[in-house]
Amino acid sequence: METFDEIYLDLSKQPGKCRFVETGLGWKLGNGDPFTLDAAEFTQAQWSRASRGYEIKVYSRNNAVVQLDGFQQEDFERISKLFKNWYRINLEHKEHALRGWNWGKADFGKAELHFNVQSRPAFSIPYSEVSNTNLAGKNEVAVDFSNPANGDETGTNGHLGGARAKGRKTGAARDQLVEMRFYIPGSTAIKEENGENGDA
Amino acid sequence: SLNGTEEKKFKRFESYKRDNQFPPKVKDLAVVVDAKSSTIVLPIMGRPVPFHINTIKNASHTPDGDVTYLRINFLSPGQGVGRKDDQPFEDASAHFIRSLTFKSKDIDRMEEVVKQITELKKNAVRREQEKKQMED
Repeated sequence: METFDEIYLDLSKQPGKCRFVETGLGWKLGNGDPFTLDAAEFTQAQWSRASRGYEIKVYSRNNAVVQLDGFQQEDFERISKLFKNWYRINLEHKEHALRGWNWGKADFGKAELHFNVQSRPAFSIPYSEVSNTNLAGKNEVAVDFSNPANGDETGTNGHLGGARAKGRKTGAARDQLVEMRFYIPGSTAIKEENGENGDA
Repeated sequence: SLNGTEEKKFKRFESYKRDNQFPPKVKDLAVVVDAKSSTIVLPIMGRPVPFHINTIKNASHTPDGDVTYLRINFLSPGQGVGRKDDQPFEDASAHFIRSLTFKSKDIDRMEEVVKQITELKKNAVRREQEKKQMED
């Protein structure tokens, strides 16, 4: 068993205890209800820099994205070893784009939309967090994010120490992302096509 | 220079080289202006995401009751002010982030963020012009 303190689950308000055992992982805040994920559910795992320390991102079979933030850089060896030995999963060290560019390629993955700059993600957005998308203008696509009331609502009824249910992650931030607009060359063609289909 | 019009060239820039260069304040999951690196760091799904001042067109915020909406507009093709879009791009066929909007309860801090971004942008444009004059 390996235990780590001061870890945030899915951008929870409070940090809790994260525990890895041979059969899976758990997270708990104080005497609250524990969150657990069976190792059989893991499909992929990544290690990368987060706002709060380093993050382990675990993708599960139902395409959910579990984020555990607050690890120390030097925890990597220990954790990648246990992922390999216990779960037979390679904890991939994912480097993110740091160039500060606003151009690249929007790439639609299985569970997330990635914005890649020179083949490295600048950021990723789980589809569970997107509330709406629409063509806002010529070549312009708007993506709206679920915006929980006051940012206080987590969708877990106070369980799991303020960890966030699907569609609530953006509310974790002090400044909450509510909308993102992309310029996608050629996206007017999609609109015209749809229009024609509508007329037919 | 051709017919009196000078073709603008795209110049490469970079916010950070390593992920230990982020300002410590990014842990607050708030908008952070890092003047030293000419960069705005934005919280997106728990990650600090840098945007160099050269990518930013402008920033403004719109208060609504006890919150405010910070909107950052980025430079992207197809939005030239005049008839001709003379803004140079490294790759005009790429996908671009055109704008990001953040909701915040800290109206005073957002006011300050807008001022800082505007100031940073002004300085960057001025430096660019000074450099061009020296080259001429």
